[in-house]
Amino acid sequence: MTRRRWLLAAAVIPVSKVFSAASLSAYWDGDNIHVAAPHLHFLTGRPLERLKNGLSAMFLSQLTLSTDAHLTVFRRVPERFVLSYDLWEEKFSVTRLRGNPRSVSHLSSEAAEAWCLRSMVMSAAGLDPSRQFWLRLELRATDPREEAAVLGEPGINITRLIEVFSRRPRSAQPHWTLEAGPLRLADIRKSTARGDQSG
Amino acid sequence: MRCAWLGCLVWGSLLIAGGPQSAINVNTRYTVESVELSGAEESRISAGLRREMARLRGEKLNPSLLEDLARRIRRELQVRAVTHLVLRGDTPEHVKVVFEVKGRPRSYEISVPTFLYHAKQGWSAAVEGTIQVSEHRLTAGVVSDGDALAERYAGVNARYENRRLGGSERVGLRLLAESYHQQWNRATRLAAPEAIEYTSPIYRVRQNIEPTITIALGGPFMLSVGAGFQRMEPDYPAGPGTESANALSAALRVHKRIETSGAGRHDLNGGYGLRAATRVLDSDYVYNRHHMEMRYVYENGRHAVVEHAMAGAIGGRAPLFERFVLGTSSTLRGWNKFDLDPLGGDRMVHNTVEYRYRMLQAFYDTGAVWSQGQPAVARHAVGVGLRQNNFSLAVAFPLRDSRVEPVFILGMNY
Repeated sequence: MTRRRWLLAAAVIPVSKVFSAASLSAYWDGDNIHVAAPHLHFLTGRPLERLKNGLSAMFLSQLTLSTDAHLTVFRRVPERFVLSYDLWEEKFSVTRLRGNPRSVSHLSSEAAEAWCLRSMVMSAAGLDPSRQFWLRLELRATDPREEAAVLGEPGINITRLIEVFSRRPRSAQPHWTLEAGPLRLADIRKSTARGDQSG
Repeated sequence: MRCAWLGCLVWGSLLIAGGPQSAINVNTRYTVESVELSGAEESRISAGLRREMARLRGEKLNPSLLEDLARRIRRELQVRAVTHLVLRGDTPEHVKVVFEVKGRPRSYEISVPTFLYHAKQGWSAAVEGTIQVSEHRLTAGVVSDGDALAERYAGVNARYENRRLGGSERVGLRLLAESYHQQWNRATRLAAPEAIEYTSPIYRVRQNIEPTITIALGGPFMLSVGAGFQRMEPDYPAGPGTESANALSAALRVHKRIETSGAGRHDLNGGYGLRAATRVLDSDYVYNRHHMEMRYVYENGRHAVVEHAMAGAIGGRAPLFERFVLGTSSTLRGWNKFDLDPLGGDRMVHNTVEYRYRMLQAFYDTGAVWSQGQPAVARHAVGVGLRQNNFSLAVAFPLRDSRVEPVFILGMNY
């Protein structure tokens, strides 16, 4: 093994360790591609704190399919979820906003996370079953209060805008990226789950 | 036109990028048991705001109302942030609301209260800086506005405000000073000499000093009384000397917000204002100007309906800046105000009905502006657009027999 390969391996191992902690898997029901990430827990940290304080939390997700190792986008599906936490029943409620809004309630945190992931469905139309493809799932929490603070009744608050940009809002906001691939539809077929998106 | 399309694209993408934060919260079925302010003394916020906080008790939890109150507390206290928490109450099915004040009061603020592009009238913008020391607020700003009046005025203004005059929460003082240079549309320049018997000639500089006292009368009523001392320098050296329009002013305003047990919210804003210029104040112009308006907003979930009616009348000879103008970014949208009446009118009625679904809006404006002795001609305009927070992008169509000519308007606070 050359020195270059040792260096490359050293660089790749920590990254792969991060992804292996929350790996992304996929299956095909004949029409759509579904994803699952049982080890991904995004109801943590600030979003969870916000939910436990009786407020709602919004998550933006994006599922991207590429046929050339993430170089170009073949198909992309964005999604938005609003979660809230019932203070008396201590259960989560989720609403998917895109398309026809759908809601489920009385969920544990794991069930709420799983429902969000199950709702991320991508059409496989036009993708050859034998062709290799890669999937990337991006998920991040948003902070609606920053927008409200900058845009008030008196107009744009420049002072507040400077404060927001002088911080590192994007890196401070929780976000997750999971990738899978190379995959082939022929390899990930799952005949029993055809059209199942229910929560 | 190319600039207008480019502006639309940029603005549209900004609006869409903002996206609405839906208030889907399972806790809205619970009743508010108590409301607290943490991190600041309640006495530091106005009595009106405290009353609105108290009104939450016994009502179903309304997250959008909490966000609105948190924003208003932050603005009154001039602090970095005000967040709110909802906690489980002491009795079942009840919750407690806590507003948390974060950061020390900020002593300065810079804001952009107006930013607007109108395809017929060009840009209007204002920038303000405010310094606050205890109850005293001093604001200085620059402005160039070609939208609101028959003139385009550009210059500086400054105001001093004390919202608790003599320690009373019910009485406030405001002292405004303005100095503007005027630019006039060609149509106004041509029409002004013919109208000298019922309005002023055009002027090149206008200065104003305006002290006002505001009194909270109790309930939703607010009364303002004051005086305005306007001084105008003529546009032509051969014209009349410096003239003044000194007037007493009074305004009564009402603001009522009603939350229904469902998702509905009613918001009513109305007012009547009178300015009376008199020789007693050494005014060269003697007139009285009446203006009344009513704005009602009903919101239910993602739907909102806005009804805004206003009317005004001037008796006597009032200077150009007092005359009523329609065909602006918020009235008879799409019409050119200089086509309607290049000098403005001394009579005006106007009504807007607007429907909003999420960020989409559709509106219908109708109104007339005319001068005494002339026939009133009603005009109509329709339009569609996008609105997110204070930002709006609209394309308006004046309803004429002859042709359809869309007009683009984009900006905020209109």
